[in-house]
Amino acid sequence: MGKSLGLIVNPVAGMGGSVGLKGTDGEMHQKALALGAEPITPKRTRDLLTHIQRLEELSLLVAPGEMGEQHVEGLLPFKVVGEIGQETSAKDTERIACEMVDRGIELLIFVGGDGTARDVCDAIATTVPVVAVPAGVKVFSAAFAVSARAAAEMVDAFLEGSALTEEEVLDIDEEAFREDRLASRLYGYLLVPEVRLFLQPGKSASSVGKTAMQSKQEIATCVVEGMDPETLYLLGPGTTLKAIADELGVDKTLLGVDAVHARALVGKDVNEKGILDLLEGYGKSKIMVTPIGGNGFILGRGSKQFTPEVIRQVDASNIVVVGTRDKVSQLECLRVDTGDLELDERFRGYVRVTVGYGEAMLMEVRC
Amino acid sequence: MRETIRLHMNEMPYPPSLGVVEAARQGLARLNRYADPAELEALRGLLASYCGVPRDCVILSPGSDLLLREVIHTFSQGRRVITPSPSFFPTVQAAKQFAAEWLSVRLSPPAFDLNTRLLTEALEGPSLVILDNPNNPTGRLLLDPPAVEALLQQENVLLVIDEAYYEFSGVTFADRVAEHPQLAVIRTLDKAFSLAGARVGYGIVGETFQDVLLSFQAFLPRPSLCAAIEALERSKDMRENVRRVIGERERLRRALEELGAHVYPSSTNFLLVRSEVPDLVKRLRDKGVLVSEVSTQLPAGFFRVSIGTPGENDAFVDAFAEHQRSRLE
Repeated sequence: MGKSLGLIVNPVAGMGGSVGLKGTDGEMHQKALALGAEPITPKRTRDLLTHIQRLEELSLLVAPGEMGEQHVEGLLPFKVVGEIGQETSAKDTERIACEMVDRGIELLIFVGGDGTARDVCDAIATTVPVVAVPAGVKVFSAAFAVSARAAAEMVDAFLEGSALTEEEVLDIDEEAFREDRLASRLYGYLLVPEVRLFLQPGKSASSVGKTAMQSKQEIATCVVEGMDPETLYLLGPGTTLKAIADELGVDKTLLGVDAVHARALVGKDVNEKGILDLLEGYGKSKIMVTPIGGNGFILGRGSKQFTPEVIRQVDASNIVVVGTRDKVSQLECLRVDTGDLELDERFRGYVRVTVGYGEAMLMEVRC
Repeated sequence: MRETIRLHMNEMPYPPSLGVVEAARQGLARLNRYADPAELEALRGLLASYCGVPRDCVILSPGSDLLLREVIHTFSQGRRVITPSPSFFPTVQAAKQFAAEWLSVRLSPPAFDLNTRLLTEALEGPSLVILDNPNNPTGRLLLDPPAVEALLQQENVLLVIDEAYYEFSGVTFADRVAEHPQLAVIRTLDKAFSLAGARVGYGIVGETFQDVLLSFQAFLPRPSLCAAIEALERSKDMRENVRRVIGERERLRRALEELGAHVYPSSTNFLLVRSEVPDLVKRLRDKGVLVSEVSTQLPAGFFRVSIGTPGENDAFVDAFAEHQRSRLE
């Protein structure tokens, strides 16, 4: 009996692309159909399944009909989980994902876009790892594999016992995207198998290759060693900041801002007012943030608690940026969008990012 | 069986001349002996003459990557190591392994410029700065004479310039070594001289490096030594091959751009390319064309392709076009 994996396909994901729509959230699915859009998820799903090397090791649970069953028939044995109606919705994804987890799947594969990732995030968060196969019009969340084929490699890596890492799910405003504006914020995290490139062709094995977990631990050790007991630290969202909180022995709100002073938690999931109150009570302060994977925002997306007023009080020179080398290497640059153009300009230039123990990278910030 | 097209290691696609191969063969016939010190000295003399520097500055190494590794291992003690990011991968590996403190300066697309003012400002305390010029994998020249002078004016800075692709760029700072004891230039015969299989690297190093690295003066494998001497005596062949590669590089760049790829200007024997086709490196490998994955250091979509023979380049373009068109359809 192999490992038990679940498969859920969002049948409408990606249909907007061929007919010039950006996304199929809400009413846009019907519009895409009216414009003659063809489903693209069947091919993506087949691409995925035909590239998994260790297919025979799987015990597969699939969602019914077009949400999974149709695409798997004839390829490998499976069991169907849940029921769906004539039209499918986000609720089906959420319900069936929960049911699969209840039935003991060890990995959930889903085919869809950023919206599907948010549904899966709502349903199962990080209770079981996922492999996210991109089929959306434009997929931004770092939790996704770059392609169906890369997703198949992630499934194989999982079956071989790879490490797991938390990757971001973004909330993309499709209305804004249709107007050619990218408005995204950090929505949550999914746990994904880590596939790392250990080898440069023909060269020796990379000693740079470390698991994301190890890299975050290195950063946490380095940052905590350098902390000043007199300074108030405002820890922004993200798993790297959580590693720092873990090193300090305090409980971190993954998506929120927590405040630490002298290694003790002095503010939990604080909002702007809570932060401003804390700043009044303490003298020196620093904000610690990590860039959002994919787009590189360090301020303004995913950490709205750090308002222009908060940032001005702390001072732009007291922003500490951390992030693993692998993560920041995937970014073209860092970005800020605080909503205050004058303040944004103060960040233009280069900032130092702590990327490991005794390791830093000077990265360009663009506004 | 289909022959694999190797465009992933920045090798010279043209083999060494028959004379060089014959010299290596003669070296093979005496494999029971270590290289003769007189022959090693002869090679140092030829390299000194080729580079226009005193013989004492020249240090030999079985591959320039090993020399870079030795330099980082030896001189990173008590110094902060500074490199660009991305950079030559063995340099990155050695910095990670040996440096107690390592600062990378990110080269951001699309220009991949090195902000040398920022770099100079970052030089606090003893530093070992290692810059590949041209940079691998971007292909871009990072340094100009004023930038090098500014770095060399800093106190307590050792500057190492990796010039593995000097013959393609035509830009060198080797002539500055005599005046600046804290400067080292690292080069190789692997690329332009068609000797990747022989692994002959060398450094043109200032006095600060000379004493410490003297113990590293390596015995090269005898066939490599013989081949290197012969190749240097026939440097006209090398220059002709470099000319052909540069011509092919520009032809390949135009062909890729016509197919909708973004190709970055290069002063080397390779091109950095950005494409929206997912998994392109693997897809090309399935077609028997090897190009280099650079996603450990750059965002997804970038890959590096070495310049091959015209036939190899055409085969690569055909395989690339097939995927690129299917993406655009």
